[in-house]
Amino acid sequence: MSTSQEITTLLVTEFGTDPLAIRPEVPLRQLRLDSLALEELRLLIEDRMDIDLEDVALTSRDTVGELVAAVHGKVTA
Amino acid sequence: MTARGAASPWGRPPLEPFAAAVTGIGLVTAAGVGADAAWQGVCDPAALPSVGYRPELDGLPCDFMYTVPGLDTRAVLGVAAQRLMDRFSQLAVVAAREAVADAGLGPEVWDSGRVAVVIGSAHGGLPFYDGQHTALAERGARRVSPKLAPLTVVNGAASSVAMDLGVHGPSQAVSTACSSGTVAIGTAHQMLRTGACDIVVAGGAESVCCRLLFASACQMKAVSTRRDDPGAACRPFDIHRDGFVVGEGAGLLVMEHPGHARARGAAVRAHVAGYGASSDAHSAVAPDPDGLGIERALRTALADAGLVAADIGHVNAHGTSTVANDLIEATMLHRVLGERPLVTSTKARTGHTLGAAGGIEAALTVLALQHQLVPPTANLDSPDPRIPVDVVSKEARPGVFDCAVKTSLGFGGHNAALVLTK
Repeated sequence: MSTSQEITTLLVTEFGTDPLAIRPEVPLRQLRLDSLALEELRLLIEDRMDIDLEDVALTSRDTVGELVAAVHGKVTA
Repeated sequence: MTARGAASPWGRPPLEPFAAAVTGIGLVTAAGVGADAAWQGVCDPAALPSVGYRPELDGLPCDFMYTVPGLDTRAVLGVAAQRLMDRFSQLAVVAAREAVADAGLGPEVWDSGRVAVVIGSAHGGLPFYDGQHTALAERGARRVSPKLAPLTVVNGAASSVAMDLGVHGPSQAVSTACSSGTVAIGTAHQMLRTGACDIVVAGGAESVCCRLLFASACQMKAVSTRRDDPGAACRPFDIHRDGFVVGEGAGLLVMEHPGHARARGAAVRAHVAGYGASSDAHSAVAPDPDGLGIERALRTALADAGLVAADIGHVNAHGTSTVANDLIEATMLHRVLGERPLVTSTKARTGHTLGAAGGIEAALTVLALQHQLVPPTANLDSPDPRIPVDVVSKEARPGVFDCAVKTSLGFGGHNAALVLTK
């Protein structure tokens, strides 16, 4: 499963996000991911993909594409 | 009935009696989900409540509890909403939706700034707290959820209900252990009386399937350890009672200023006519051995309603199935109310839902007033001969009564009583 698919799966199953709304250019806040949800998502991604995202700085103003890129960078690091 | 109001030692005139209209109820219990199902579940002698072994409690002397059957909160509330609630808040929201729909209320009817929420809970999100403590101990600080505070605070149920309903009046939690739900309804009564709001969604919510709490309760010897027959373990007023059995649930009333209810032509189920509360100042866990604290609360509630003992025809007692509570409470009820009231404890069908108990049992008392029917005290096979009141057992008993009482006692000596009228 690709990084994008992993994140999409988490957003749909854990946050109830509409899969059709998850597009690279969409800001995370548009998916109703506030700062609390973003921190929760970070934990879920870390657990699911066995990576450490502590030094990744993302806010709800960042887009899905930027999130995927940041995570992908850790996966391939 | 005599309209004498509450006495004041300072010479101020007593408050005029005030009867808040109950226009909606919501019940989420082990006896049934929804008011109709729960009422049937407590009245039908053949009904089987949802009680039994829980794997989370495996190995403990008490490894069973009452749980709400067949409620998929992810489906009912939605993934996004339920994610931000621990289970006690989820149950509260389900009950609130039912109560508000039952009252015929909603955004098109109410002024949202005049709608309040007061919900009692003893332990809030303790199960989530317990899980996160385990994560901290076993996996380190970076594995702890950022949701700990919002999910575990006792006000989580009140804030979740306010958000779900989109109401903007005062919202708050009440936490007085096992009298929390009753105190929440009493607080709502006072808010309506003083004009702080027009409508209050009030009651209690609790869900504590939590190994940490059960381990402590077992050490305290407060819970029944009848593991071979969990369905018969809770037996209020029975000579063989050996402790309470924890349950989860939520019970909420929609209470309205009577003028507000009248103006919109609402169907009124019953009224909350009086409230009294007191403190034992005696023990962290044991009730006052003479029941003086709960007596004070009950006498205050009667005076607040402008009623006398002879007016009361039914009592939904705290009746936890502990040796101490049931005898002390029943003796007090006989002392204050005499032999007329038909007394019941519905806990053998719902479990002891701790902070939710007062809300659930007040809603059941409303239904008893409406149906003129008192649910039986289940599992009361061998009545304790020292119990001096008329406890309904075996099957529901019809009665003729306009006024009823709900009593609650909480760890720490928090006593509360409500007077409900037709």
